[in-house]
Amino acid sequence: MGDEIGSKVEEGSFVTPGGFIGTSEEFLTGTGTYEEKGKVYASTTGILNINTKERIVSVKPTVKTPPIPKVGDIVVGRVLDIKGSMVFVDVGRIKGSEDREIAASEQGVIHVSNVKEAYVSELSDEFGYMDIIKAKVIDAKAMRLSTSAKDLGVIKAICSRCKVGMKRKNDRLECPNCGRIEMRKISEDYGMGII
Amino acid sequence: MNAKPEKFIIDGLRLDGRRPDELRPLKISAGVLKRADGSCYLELGANKVMAAVYGPRQVHPRHMQDATKAIVRYRYNMASFSVGDRKRPGPDRRSIEISKVCRDAFQPVVIKERHPRLAIDVFVEVLQAGAGTRTAGINAASVALADAGIAMKSLVASCAVGKVDDTLVLDLMKEEDNYGQADMPIAVIPTTGEITLLQMDGHLTRDEFGTGFKMAMEGCQKIHEAQKEALAKCYQMKDDGGEQVGE
Repeated sequence: MGDEIGSKVEEGSFVTPGGFIGTSEEFLTGTGTYEEKGKVYASTTGILNINTKERIVSVKPTVKTPPIPKVGDIVVGRVLDIKGSMVFVDVGRIKGSEDREIAASEQGVIHVSNVKEAYVSELSDEFGYMDIIKAKVIDAKAMRLSTSAKDLGVIKAICSRCKVGMKRKNDRLECPNCGRIEMRKISEDYGMGII
Repeated sequence: MNAKPEKFIIDGLRLDGRRPDELRPLKISAGVLKRADGSCYLELGANKVMAAVYGPRQVHPRHMQDATKAIVRYRYNMASFSVGDRKRPGPDRRSIEISKVCRDAFQPVVIKERHPRLAIDVFVEVLQAGAGTRTAGINAASVALADAGIAMKSLVASCAVGKVDDTLVLDLMKEEDNYGQADMPIAVIPTTGEITLLQMDGHLTRDEFGTGFKMAMEGCQKIHEAQKEALAKCYQMKDDGGEQVGE
């Protein structure tokens, strides 16, 4: 049954999930495709792409696909805990798909060695509880993150005493309420609302 | 409520002028909700249903998660204003059962292994009911899942066949459903012909079951074409830089 007979699929044609592409003798399966009983079908809605050299078919999605973190992605999250040499982060969104929840574990972790280029003697001088941070994914599977770049680090922090948003003052943060000074690994986008 | 009509088929045509093997007018539009990850609005005759898909996302409560694959959650719900007499809101015996069978209709097509520990949530809201809401819901949910970019082996198409005046009819409408002799909704994977849902209410003979099943299968193929068209239309609209429906 189905649309195997007669319908010809070619490079650039629009396919929907279950759309017949070819046989497994003809093609290798790339992204957005799957193989079953010797036949290759589309698993995503999109435009068919045939790599004639390597004989790989893939589907370039025309719909937004679930955001899965990859190495190099920029993520935004909140510091949940600081324990020993680790910072535990609740990862909220991936840059570029801010309107969609991430399709992976939300638990990210930053090791003290990935906080910044310089030596870190005390992690509590770099992050505080409830800080909003911007970080880069360095291991997608274990969700290991790094903040060692100028634009990465804390983008919003609250005063540990009075819980109000801190203002940036040179390389430190100052509480506008009580005047308390706190240290952070501050991103150059601190307080700008830029992701 | 309308009373039982004397005859369901007059001169080979049904009460609404359809032939026995004809579907009600079908309208599908994908990507209608801005805040959902995938959505679809579907009209099938008097039925008006809205489907929304969220996820893959974190599972709460946590004990429901599966370390090897994603879980699919499906909620079929009828709006209180969807039927003639007000429907008491909230899940009841009927809607819990429909949610369960519809969820099972999608289990074999969603490639769940792609998203371990996560949940794919499907919400189907029946805004106006007129017989065959579960099939309309499945058709809408299928397009909404595709719109959410969730990897699937195929779309699922669904359609009902029934018996009135000892005649097999496709895609029952309200009177035929209420006073007919049988109602059999099916959901299939249109490309392979595999069945993912099959229910029956009333009585059919063995032969009637066979022919009826074939009729429903053909109906599903037509619906499948409409589903593909809706997804293509949604893409073309984005391509032209046009606004999404309902935004």
